[in-house]
Amino acid sequence: MDLQLLLLELGIALLLARIFGYAFERVKQPAVIGEILAGIIVGPFIMGRIFGINFISPSIEQPVDAIARIGIILLLFLSGIDTGINEIKNAGKSGLITSAFDVGIAFLFGYLVGTFMGYDTLHSIAIGNIFSATSVGITVRTLMEMNALHTNVGNLILTVAVLDDILGIVVLSITLGKGSPEILIVKITIFFLVFLAILYGLYKSQGLKIRTNLSRFALTLAISFCFLFSFFAMSMGLAAITGSFFAGLLLSVVPQRKRILNFVRQIGEVFFIPIFFVWVGSSFDFSAFSPSQLSHVGKLLLLFIPMALIGKIIGCSAGAKVNGFSSRDALAVGVGMMPRMEVALIVITTEISMGIFKGAMAHQMLAATILLVIISSLITPFILKAIYRAPEE
Amino acid sequence: MELKLKELHEKKVGDILDEKLRWNLPLLEKDADIECLLSVMASRDHVWVVEKKNSRKIVGVVTENDILRLLSPTILPKYVFGSKYGVSIEHGTAKKVEDIMCGQLIKCEPDDKVGDVLRKMVNSGLRRLPVVEDGEIVGEITARYIIQILLKKR
Repeated sequence: MDLQLLLLELGIALLLARIFGYAFERVKQPAVIGEILAGIIVGPFIMGRIFGINFISPSIEQPVDAIARIGIILLLFLSGIDTGINEIKNAGKSGLITSAFDVGIAFLFGYLVGTFMGYDTLHSIAIGNIFSATSVGITVRTLMEMNALHTNVGNLILTVAVLDDILGIVVLSITLGKGSPEILIVKITIFFLVFLAILYGLYKSQGLKIRTNLSRFALTLAISFCFLFSFFAMSMGLAAITGSFFAGLLLSVVPQRKRILNFVRQIGEVFFIPIFFVWVGSSFDFSAFSPSQLSHVGKLLLLFIPMALIGKIIGCSAGAKVNGFSSRDALAVGVGMMPRMEVALIVITTEISMGIFKGAMAHQMLAATILLVIISSLITPFILKAIYRAPEE
Repeated sequence: MELKLKELHEKKVGDILDEKLRWNLPLLEKDADIECLLSVMASRDHVWVVEKKNSRKIVGVVTENDILRLLSPTILPKYVFGSKYGVSIEHGTAKKVEDIMCGQLIKCEPDDKVGDVLRKMVNSGLRRLPVVEDGEIVGEITARYIIQILLKKR
């Protein structure tokens, strides 16, 4: 691909991503959905067809592809630094129990969808992984509007959403690792031992004086560490995102955390991450809905989306109920955990790039996940407002 | 003044600390409530957070900038990870000092050279560092304090 075309693509992609993102924020919807729509527009089916060029085509050799993939890595890195080890330590028993129920049942529902569709085990597990992670941004906004963030429900949702990402990524690492099970277990063990060793080292070195000049390079070192750790994860047969997420967790304990967080947020949000969402949108393939495929795709969507939503409601409500929540509050927790966003999209694109979903199936799964993201984000605020009211003080 | 500054760079932090100031540091325990914090912040521009009352074991810092975020109508970033974005005065979720403090501190020690400490402040974009000895805060170095010394106002 020549540079001239790349510059045009990136320029238009960023511009449209911002315009659509802003428009969606104005009507109180997540900007990410706007960015995905921008992607659908610059993709091969609208702009590509009009201008006759293959705008941001989803093939591997494209430079845009590489930028989007780096966007994924940075997004997970950001998530790791922002979440932080301490937040996991402070989660408490109720958070852990609910999260375990939540991820367990959502995963199971995904697996069942796969089995029902007649997919093999690997594909069913891959769907389970898409179902596991929640993105709670939309719920936090809704709870703020409802003035209910300080309630038990708000509190539990925030805690569980954090643990969700971590559990989801651990489950993904274990279930989708490459290689025979015996070797994989050894490799995963090595990965986590190295993680713990570095963590221990970082904790110990708190007393150790960090050379003053080093802090100038801290930001570059952080990005470099993120890439190297992702590389390490990949060479252990795990997904790159596992590496970058855990690299983020590691850097959450260093004194420079706040600066690194702001820095990664900036370079990510300004360039790499919007390109990722545009890229996801542009990979949305309308031919997945061709007449010959329609009955299969229709069946998939009818199972995939409701099961993803119901799985979360049942899982989280059960978890909250075990922790002594009233039925109504437990249901609100379940509904609040329905939205899927960044992490689900990251999981599906990772699974496609790992070659788990191929060809037509990859397009169908991606389309199903994009629709899940849009539908779950749109309906959650309404349902939450309908079923839950913050107690009067 | 040039000579004085060069001299100052070579001095140790411990040598320029004013012993009296040690007892006038803005300290607050981490489980103090927000109103308490705000009343301190009404007259100081930062607070060092310590483990518990009468302890000097430093665990965090709250600056004017942290408070500013809490005073403004809540702005969520585009990507919300971590539960601290739910922390807000407006929504009643900011209860204790530890909910809003920054717990990862960049600090210096009495044995550090002033020049190195200043460089560290520039490199990490901070205008005040706690001086910490064995985990306990014994003083603070601020840009203003350095100016005062340079102008012989201390």
